[in-house]
Amino acid sequence: MAVTGRAVALAFAAVPVVLAAGALAAWAAWASVALVVVLIGADAALAPSARRVRLERSGDTSVRLGETARVELVVANPSGRALRGVLRDAWPPSTGADPARHRLRVPGGERRRLETVLRPKRRGDHASAGVTVRCLGPLGLAARQATHTVPWSLRALPPFHSRRHLPGKLARLRELDGRTSALVRGQGSEFDSLREYVPGDDVRSIDWRATARRESVVVRTWRPERDRRILLVLDTGRTSAGRVGDEPRLDHSMDAALLLAALAAKAGDRVDLLAFDRRVRAQVRTRGRGTSVPAMVQAMAPLEAALVESDPAAMAASVLGGQGRSRRLVVLLTDLNASALEEGLLPMLPALTSRHTVMLAAVSDPAVEAMAAERGDAHAVYRSAAARRTMADRRRVTAELRKRGVEVVDAPPETIAPALADAYITMKAQGRL
Amino acid sequence: MTTAAPTAPSASDAPPTAPPSQAGARWRRARGPIAVVAVLVLLSFAVSLGARPERTGSLEPEASTPEGSRALVNILEERGSEVTVARDSASALDAASGDALVVLSSSHRLTRGELERLAGSGADVLAVQPTGPALRLLAPGVETAGRGDGVTPEPECRLPAARAAGSADAGGESYSGGTTGCYPVDGGDGLVVAERPDGAATTVLGDRAPLTNANLGQEGNAALMLNLVDGRDVVWFLPDVPVQSGQSTMWDLLPPSLRWSLVPLGAALLLLALWRGRRLGPLVTERLPVVVRAAETTEGRARLYAARRARDRAAAALRADAAERLRTAVGLAADTDADAVAAAVALRTGDDPVQVRRLLYGAPEDGVPADDTALAALADDLDRLERRLSPGA
Repeated sequence: MAVTGRAVALAFAAVPVVLAAGALAAWAAWASVALVVVLIGADAALAPSARRVRLERSGDTSVRLGETARVELVVANPSGRALRGVLRDAWPPSTGADPARHRLRVPGGERRRLETVLRPKRRGDHASAGVTVRCLGPLGLAARQATHTVPWSLRALPPFHSRRHLPGKLARLRELDGRTSALVRGQGSEFDSLREYVPGDDVRSIDWRATARRESVVVRTWRPERDRRILLVLDTGRTSAGRVGDEPRLDHSMDAALLLAALAAKAGDRVDLLAFDRRVRAQVRTRGRGTSVPAMVQAMAPLEAALVESDPAAMAASVLGGQGRSRRLVVLLTDLNASALEEGLLPMLPALTSRHTVMLAAVSDPAVEAMAAERGDAHAVYRSAAARRTMADRRRVTAELRKRGVEVVDAPPETIAPALADAYITMKAQGRL
Repeated sequence: MTTAAPTAPSASDAPPTAPPSQAGARWRRARGPIAVVAVLVLLSFAVSLGARPERTGSLEPEASTPEGSRALVNILEERGSEVTVARDSASALDAASGDALVVLSSSHRLTRGELERLAGSGADVLAVQPTGPALRLLAPGVETAGRGDGVTPEPECRLPAARAAGSADAGGESYSGGTTGCYPVDGGDGLVVAERPDGAATTVLGDRAPLTNANLGQEGNAALMLNLVDGRDVVWFLPDVPVQSGQSTMWDLLPPSLRWSLVPLGAALLLLALWRGRRLGPLVTERLPVVVRAAETTEGRARLYAARRARDRAAAALRADAAERLRTAVGLAADTDADAVAAAVALRTGDDPVQVRRLLYGAPEDGVPADDTALAALADDLDRLERRLSPGA
């Protein structure tokens, strides 16, 4: 039950009537109030029931962050009377639902389709909060109102900004593929084909047996080995919650992880994902060939950084206890936080590095770099000193990790994704996977 | 990247989506505030039962304030006088039968008729600072003579009550005429006794001070009052502020149609509140993420440095960073000692190796900058050294 602005206007219109009534004022006053009350009551009674309206949803269930999704709502009016009123399809504020309220006009026994455009501003699952229907009476003085639960959920996926780097990195990857024999041969390289010698080729790669059978000199070419296994480990603990620029460190890590996954899938490697803080938050395992990027995007969408200290021991156990005994490239996406790494990860490293190749990618904070360059008054120098102290800690941890055989990629948010991709391509070219 | 829902909920076979009645939920939500309001109402009612506000005012017989007269009333009652407090003319005249003394103050609150009835009652009257009309009716032949502000005159008269009391605070208004005059002040007397036509006597006192709580204990005030009362019963006549009756209020003067128009106006305002107050569905809450900037810890450390003036730590951080960068710039290994780094840097820049070492690693005697200016200067010196080594950067 609700009254409308028209009912209020009617009630105010009674005031001058009573003023003009003179001697009959008392009678007019009570009569006008009674009239307004009776009209509102009758209008509400004649309005179609808001509870009996049937609602049905359809539309998008997932959208990449920054793009728009459409969710449709079919309103069925089962009564014989025409339904006039307002409908509010309520969504959480960050989904940017537009329009916030729809005008409703459904003739008796018919259905109408309403469309709400959603433009989520935050990653994750957004659930519809309820649909409120307000049905006006024939006079437009009163309305009946009810809130229906029409469940729908829209998943806002990670934006994957770094996909613009993908063509360039794929081109670099293709250069490695059997075109040149001037590659460093490592344990991860496999024989690809024979071709004619061209000046500049490494003489050590000449295949003398093949040359003997032909008139020209033939060299062997190598290509990076395929079907290597890569495990991306996203740290969702407290160090990933800090905001670098406008987004949490976790989102930058996701972006880099997605580029690496897309690249590795094209290169024929198999990529798994593990999101971890104190327990497994998300896990994606690739079975057989094919890209796992869509599955990863879906798995990453609802992830939020938790304000807990990550447990590297459990993470290492989870990685080591994973499927197969094959050697893998383990990419840890975390922060180079001196205390967290020294107490947590470093003691676990020997167990990891003995079985797998470990790479660590961390997003550095440009704000700290800017602080380090501050000069002028004493406060600026204190800030600079604190920033330099933080950077020195990072360098120390990086050196310590490299000493133990971990590849470290430390880059600001804009370049972390391509930097990680480059590190992967370099490792692949060197056959270190 | 949008995909259609694989299993969209269908309305045709689904149960109705409207929720059950909310009356129970509403009661559960409202009962807390209702209980609080009820307790507050009961509490204020209980408090109002216990409290009876004390009357205050000038010469008020119940007031313990400095200008009240409770002290005098209490003393009179202890001495055996019966003190009757009268707040209107009728009860004062009732109580004044016999040889009671009527103590009249605030005579300006009495009408001429009331004063006439009092003057014809045959009771002795002590009029404190009477108005002009009261003076003429109650003490014929007595005139106002002048004012003596704050003086404490001696009695200087034959009246036994005044002679026994001695000096008193009777230095307010002074009067001339009457049968006896005491306490000469400013051309008249502060205390005058006059005979009325009905045979009774009226004592006119030009000052309220002798009756008040504040001044009763001073000079001969208390003695003067007790002597004037002289063991008789007392009618303490303090008229209330007269209430004007028979006047119509603003409300009565309004035309009836205007008054009655308030009924639909109230109804309209109520509807307005209902219209604006009814929300289209409940509020939607959203779980908001924690917003912590990653640089927060570094900034916190900077504030701690600044708050404690930790120049030693700040200088060490700046020096270590610069030394590290210069070491990599000249191409030395991480475990190179300080002298070798300083020498290599000095070789490239052409500076004195000892000075470079002192700048980069600090000297034992002046390792810590003396003040903030010195710290800022140290930072600038380190920057300059780095720029000299790698001009491009």
